[in-house]
Amino acid sequence: MKDGHPIPRRVVLKTLGALGAGAAAGLRSGASAHAQTPALGQNESVQDAMKRLFGGRTIKDGSAVIKFDIPLIAENGSVVPVAVSVDSPMTPSSYVKYIYVVADKNRIPVVTRVTLAPEAGRAAVGANIRLGETGEVRAIVEQSDGTLLQVAREVKVTVGGCGG
Amino acid sequence: MSDIGKVRLRIPSSIKPGDVVQVRSLVIHPMERIERDPQGKIVQKNYNYINKVIVTYLGKTVAVFDTTQSVAENPFFSFTFKATDPGQLKVQFLDTTGGRYEGTADIKFS
Repeated sequence: MKDGHPIPRRVVLKTLGALGAGAAAGLRSGASAHAQTPALGQNESVQDAMKRLFGGRTIKDGSAVIKFDIPLIAENGSVVPVAVSVDSPMTPSSYVKYIYVVADKNRIPVVTRVTLAPEAGRAAVGANIRLGETGEVRAIVEQSDGTLLQVAREVKVTVGGCGG
Repeated sequence: MSDIGKVRLRIPSSIKPGDVVQVRSLVIHPMERIERDPQGKIVQKNYNYINKVIVTYLGKTVAVFDTTQSVAENPFFSFTFKATDPGQLKVQFLDTTGGRYEGTADIKFS
């Protein structure tokens, strides 16, 4: 048994160690993500939502770098396609960390928060969202150095999609 | 509603190494919205909606979407990733009832 074992003991131990480290890292990131999740979607005013997400940090106008695609008139508020792309490098030293979409008039103003890694190559995301009524929709970009940039668009909604 | 959790992934048909690839993903899911009783009070219950979408490529997380009920029914998401090596792209959708739906695509270079 001692000589005929197909996998050397050293390899087994090394692999187990690597697995353990990986599992611990996974647990940690999972726990921190879980702590933030319950707070993301809440019934609140958009002012409260902005305060909760960004505190008192100043948000600059980002119309030069953010391309925010959203229809001017949404006939059906329950499916509104939005796309946000950011003209920014995606290198480990400087990249787009978060993209937020916030609909001012929704009862739950925070629609989504996208966390990006430099491996994404380009900061371009899209989603279908709901809009309750006519109002502004903002795309807010947080870069890895903490800079906040925002673009807002007014969207006219013919039939609201948030019900309730 | 047996279609819940069906995931569709769309990737371009030909990918070259180093390309930044845009992927479109869709999942069939009701994304329940908040209900109110006749007095206008919110009905307290565990609404079934997707609150997390995790995109991994070659085992590395590329993007995470944290979503709320303001996202449409049968949600659609698009994102990009940089194709460096052939391997698996995986998109996982997690909902508030513990449901876990995933779609995978094999990235090959032609």
